[in-house]
Amino acid sequence: MKATWKISRGLLLAAAAVLLAPAALAQTEPPKPAQIVINDSGGDMQNAMRKAFYSEFEKRYGIKVVNTSPVDLGKLQAMVKSNNVEWTVTEIGGPDAIRAEQSGLLEPLDLKIIDLKQFPAHVQDRKYVFPKGVYSTVMGYRTDIFKEGARPKTWADFWNAEKFPGPRTMQNAPQDNLEFALIADGVPMDKVYPIDVERAFKKLDQIKKHVAVWWTTGAQSAQVLIDKEAVLGTAWNGRYYGAIKNGAPIVIEWNQGSMKESAFGIPKGAKDAYWGQKFLALAAEAPAQGAYANIIGYPGLNLQADKYTDAAMIPYLPTAPQNFPSQFWTNLAWWNENGKAMEERWQRWMLQK
Amino acid sequence: MTAIAAGARSARTPWRGWRAHVLAALFTAPALLFLLLFFLWPVLRLLSLSVEGGSLAPYQKALTDGLYVQVLFNTALIAAYVSAVCLALGYPVAYFLANAREPWVTIGIVFVLLPFWTSILVRTYAWMVLLGRNGVINRLLLETGLIAAPLPLLNNLTGVLIGMVHVLLPYMIFPLYAVMRRVDPGLLSAAEGLGAPGWQVFRRVYLPLTLPGVLAGVTLVFILSIGFFITPALLGGGKVIMIAVLIESQVRQFLAWDFAAALSVVLLAMTLLVYFGLRRLFRGDLQWG
Repeated sequence: MKATWKISRGLLLAAAAVLLAPAALAQTEPPKPAQIVINDSGGDMQNAMRKAFYSEFEKRYGIKVVNTSPVDLGKLQAMVKSNNVEWTVTEIGGPDAIRAEQSGLLEPLDLKIIDLKQFPAHVQDRKYVFPKGVYSTVMGYRTDIFKEGARPKTWADFWNAEKFPGPRTMQNAPQDNLEFALIADGVPMDKVYPIDVERAFKKLDQIKKHVAVWWTTGAQSAQVLIDKEAVLGTAWNGRYYGAIKNGAPIVIEWNQGSMKESAFGIPKGAKDAYWGQKFLALAAEAPAQGAYANIIGYPGLNLQADKYTDAAMIPYLPTAPQNFPSQFWTNLAWWNENGKAMEERWQRWMLQK
Repeated sequence: MTAIAAGARSARTPWRGWRAHVLAALFTAPALLFLLLFFLWPVLRLLSLSVEGGSLAPYQKALTDGLYVQVLFNTALIAAYVSAVCLALGYPVAYFLANAREPWVTIGIVFVLLPFWTSILVRTYAWMVLLGRNGVINRLLLETGLIAAPLPLLNNLTGVLIGMVHVLLPYMIFPLYAVMRRVDPGLLSAAEGLGAPGWQVFRRVYLPLTLPGVLAGVTLVFILSIGFFITPALLGGGKVIMIAVLIESQVRQFLAWDFAAALSVVLLAMTLLVYFGLRRLFRGDLQWG
């Protein structure tokens, strides 16, 4: 009896171990879905991410990456609230990331899976918003209009329509433009925030009649210069890079550019969130970030990514040593707090003749 | 309108009594269910969203804030312009299609439909290429010496109107075409035979007979215009603000669903008002004609 008991207890333990093993495994690695959905900004960005991130993810895990666009905070909220989350991971822009985090629309990042140790110290403890990379709103102009030695270098120059004549283009939004107006009016870059709204709009009054196009889409911002609808403008640096790569006579002026962090997030309640974390882990790796920057000119925040970036590409990156110090960081917290009021004021200002 | 017409027709068929009613109900049930589920329900949800906060504050803001009142007015004005231009351009085209012989009818219809087969964004960018300061049209006019400086065709109201008319013209032409095809040529001959000059025949016979088509076309174009979004943003250079742009930014940027819903309801009310207004106006016209 005793012997039998011993054996059966051993058997039971063995059986329990066999039964529990898959459960334990499942805890570390949920089953692989056939596909995950990543929502991004589309266009050139999507092509670059396909090459640098999506293909690599598909190769490594055998999970297909389906991409959708555009980035849309309203849609994210509708998905989360209706408990019908279609995206595994989504890109989020600017102050929207803060709003998404505050509104509880994001899953926490699993920093045991996503390794941020090679990132700058101030982003290493991120809870919800994955620091995807850096972009900058910069000045650009046509080199056939503004010749060497007589080129605009500052926002004060941008505002100076006598010395630098020609139609301008700026984004149809208050963000960046209020900052540029203040800098043009003599405010030092590190004293821009909190924004003196009255002063900024007063300065914008001066430039209004010189702005031929208030651009809405990123593609439009570069196209306007290519078509000569405007000869001097603002755009996100990657848009100008794309035009320059295709032979457009455009130069980027990095001085006083407005840098921002771009972001990824996992929507709250996302199916296969685990594989979303795995995707972000891949997007945090230096080689993938280097490959991405090589294609599109938007660098990641992994400080080791430089090693994988082409030397010829460096001058087009906002984080390059020669570009970085002359720019400033957009204060996203200020915009998160004041964005709505500024947007209404902006539209009112646009309606004024 | 078509539902009423169909109802009138079925009353004349030999199917009378309860059997006709059951049959009619069976036939219309799927379409009705579809509308209830995918149209009426979302509209009701929208209504409830706008009063979710338990107050009418979003409505108060939508109807009294200068910005939104002004933009709503601009939107209606632009929609009216677009409808007028579409009518002026579409009426002769529809007349031609209704009276031409084959193969011209088919060729004409293909040309009218062609824009339908291209994405709206592609068409908008194509207009940017054509209308720009250095665009095809301005370069042609400059090189032939017809103008001295480029015409401002893009990044203003003109550009927006051109782009919107291009997209919406088929919606004007087809209702007109459908009505014109049904006009009995005998009536026109009779008017002529009774000694009416050409323009009298048009004004007193042809125009009143085609007014239902005008009403349908104008209504369609006006309603579609009111919700336009990407075309005004791109061809207007940001200087032409329509209400859809403001509604979108309320949702997409600020998650202010209640205010966006209130603006949408105001827009819907405006649309219904215009629809019933036009119907009254045209019915009065019909009797007078």
